[in-house]
Amino acid sequence: MVNRAKIKELMNESACSHSKDKKPGEGCDKPKPGLAAGGCAFDGAQISLFPYADAVHLVHGPQTCLGASWETRETLSSYEGQNHTYMGFTTGITTNDVIFGGDKRLEDSIEYIVKEYSPEAIFVYSTCVTALVGDDIDMTCKLGSEKFDIPVVPVHAPGFVGGKNLGSRLAGEAVLENLIGTKEPETITPYDINLIGDYNVTGDMWQYLPILEKIGIRVLSSMSGDGRVSDIRTAHRAKLNVIVCAKSLVTLCRKMKEQYGIPWISVSFYGKRDTSFAIMEIAKALGDEKIIEKAKRVIEEEERLLEEKLIPYRKIFAGKKAVLNTGGNKAWSIASGLQDLGIEVVATSIRKSTADDIEKAKEYLGDDAVLMKTPASQQSKVIDEKGADILLSGGRSLYTAIKKKISFIDVNQEKKVSYGGYNGLLNLADDLKYAFNNPVFANVSKKAPWEAEG
Amino acid sequence: MSAEKKPLQVNPIKHSQPMGAALAFMGIKNCLPLMHASQGCASYTKVFYTRHFNEPIAIYNTSVSDITAVLDGGDYSILMAIENITKKNKTMKPELIGLHTTGLTETKGDDVRGVGMHIEIPYCYVNTPDFEGGMQSGWALTIKALIQQHTKEQNEIVSNKIVLLPHVSIQPGEIENIKEFCESFGLEVYALPDLSTSLDGYLSEGQGKLGTGAISIEDITNLATSSYVISIGESMKIAAEALKVKNEKIQHHHFEHLMGLEASDNFVGLLMQIRQIAPIPSIQRWRGRLQDAMLDTHFLIGSSSFLITGEPDMCVGIAELLQASGGTIKAVVTTTASDILKEIRCDNVLVGDLEDAKEYFEDVDMVISNFHAERLLHSYKNKALVLRGFPNYEEFGNQLKNDQLYEGSTYFLFEVANALRHIKHVHEGDENA
Repeated sequence: MVNRAKIKELMNESACSHSKDKKPGEGCDKPKPGLAAGGCAFDGAQISLFPYADAVHLVHGPQTCLGASWETRETLSSYEGQNHTYMGFTTGITTNDVIFGGDKRLEDSIEYIVKEYSPEAIFVYSTCVTALVGDDIDMTCKLGSEKFDIPVVPVHAPGFVGGKNLGSRLAGEAVLENLIGTKEPETITPYDINLIGDYNVTGDMWQYLPILEKIGIRVLSSMSGDGRVSDIRTAHRAKLNVIVCAKSLVTLCRKMKEQYGIPWISVSFYGKRDTSFAIMEIAKALGDEKIIEKAKRVIEEEERLLEEKLIPYRKIFAGKKAVLNTGGNKAWSIASGLQDLGIEVVATSIRKSTADDIEKAKEYLGDDAVLMKTPASQQSKVIDEKGADILLSGGRSLYTAIKKKISFIDVNQEKKVSYGGYNGLLNLADDLKYAFNNPVFANVSKKAPWEAEG
Repeated sequence: MSAEKKPLQVNPIKHSQPMGAALAFMGIKNCLPLMHASQGCASYTKVFYTRHFNEPIAIYNTSVSDITAVLDGGDYSILMAIENITKKNKTMKPELIGLHTTGLTETKGDDVRGVGMHIEIPYCYVNTPDFEGGMQSGWALTIKALIQQHTKEQNEIVSNKIVLLPHVSIQPGEIENIKEFCESFGLEVYALPDLSTSLDGYLSEGQGKLGTGAISIEDITNLATSSYVISIGESMKIAAEALKVKNEKIQHHHFEHLMGLEASDNFVGLLMQIRQIAPIPSIQRWRGRLQDAMLDTHFLIGSSSFLITGEPDMCVGIAELLQASGGTIKAVVTTTASDILKEIRCDNVLVGDLEDAKEYFEDVDMVISNFHAERLLHSYKNKALVLRGFPNYEEFGNQLKNDQLYEGSTYFLFEVANALRHIKHVHEGDENA
């Protein structure tokens, strides 16, 4: 069941930079009525676990929770068996279940899934309604697990306990308690790492995994991009946890350090500098001279190749200025990528950024750049003042770009290609090139014949 | 159409009642759609519709937490939400608060009606738990609630004023077409709700804060002076009946759908009877084009079999239109039970999911379904797919697709036939080569 003590603990994560500024016990904010935007805890939990393609993800709740959420994320998987990330499973409870309890339906659903789809594991997500009526999900999962001899993992992150970030932490707890350390790996090497928090959206991981491999670093398990349940069960044998652009899973890393003595580092693979830095950090953390030397050589070679490929773009981007309006770590990670391409980032949004993100943004953008607290009302003015050439933002700001007759890229839209790693930077360069060259923004900004000029 | 065969849904096609309610409120001018829920319900709904319509979506939530779920009867979170939203957006002037519940807030049993006494802005509440019904019923219940709570009782009617009540699967562009069609008879036409100016792919400033539908709360208040109410889709009958209660002089006419020659003829017949005039020449020409299209496509459609999935009211229309050109409907898989499903001339009509629908993939030439069917069909050879219903995440311009009346039916038949041509004729050519 939902554990209040655990939620309190997660909301006061000592390893989280937010906790620095808070009084003891204050922790994360509760959502304010009317003002909470963004996903709920269940959403966060599902995002963190859904990429396990070999597991079935069963949502124990009414229709909205899964009906509106399945097959919405481009988390790619190389799994050769039945890929369950393209599928949606829900008990879709009815009034009867609300009144009499949904345990029987859940039990039957688990049996149905095992018989029809034989997954490696089943994650069972509780939701607001099934948590409120008090279904005994733990017991039903335990019995199912024993009966069918596969992990049936309860994930207690009903939407009303908080936001996406908390849900992600709760998913980490579920994995730590039920999966990690339940199996031994076939082989171990001194260069085994776990990747934590990269969900392989549009294949981001595949941009840098070959480079790690070339250096001799082995990914033992992933939480959870292109991950396998049988691998994450062996995660306790890794030498290092590498957390990728995801603050929510610091708790998991901290606890794995306490329980298994695995150190952890936090990195980003967006842009050239960050990618090179990330690779070196991993090599250094593993502490092997040979690996460090190899990493240096590989990075040098990769950067050289990238620079060659970027030559034709340099001319197009020379002197170009960009305004960035996007949330969280994208505020600096995309900025860093833009700078690597020779574009000056004159402003970025810090509306949804953490204290860490704001520090990073300052560091990357320098003193002259504008950090926008209310980008919706600020960006128009900033574009004029700084003479920006392009706005990178969510779809809602499209109208601002058109009014200002500058180029636009929707960075919040579901991307189809990856911007990660060295090659991802080329994808970003392509998208920018097309945006700069496209006359569409100027064309649609023309006045209609019946509108007065002026 | 029987009791549940399995305990769960695998690859569901059903969408929730709250999502239907939210969409209906978006079709009211300056409405603030407020979902009484945890933040996730609204966030999912927002993302879902943003991707389906490719438009900014106005939706807010009361952010019920685990604490308020137990301790609050709804008053606190609803009133605080309205205060917080209007305080934060000072320029925003909502003319209606459209509040609807969810599974969570129905389970805890809030008195959403009572809260209304403390709200100064016009307020409409509707109970839409997501463990009952589906998107279609949530939409219909909302329209019924709007009429019951806001339409004033009347004794008189305005002779040329009519109101259309479209079911949830009629897209924004179609509403506009149907309205213009009626207006060409010289009628004053209202649609409730009216998404034609709301989610129709129109570039304008300041979108996404409030509903931008074409019907205002004032129009809804005065709706009972209409001389005719025309419900389109079985689900909308309850809303039409609610309007009749407000003025017994209103005549109610019901259409199960407006697809194909027969339904369009009946619709035109009614408008001619109301206005005692013939349709304008372009309508007459479109009828001729539909006849022509039916004949042009009958070889392909008449030799093909179909599987249709979606909301009941949509499936009924598509099935009839295809059958009128000789198409064989192998199976219809719908989201929720409805009396109208009995009227579909097909042996396999069931309430189910895409796992159930998949059983028929092998037997049909074409699947008419939503976005989720696309990937499932990849492992089948020579199956045509036409996307209809919610969601349609990837296709461009789906909010402007027109399947209604003479003109829309013509386009629909061509789209179907062209997709069939692709798998049938093109494929045969490949084999000969």
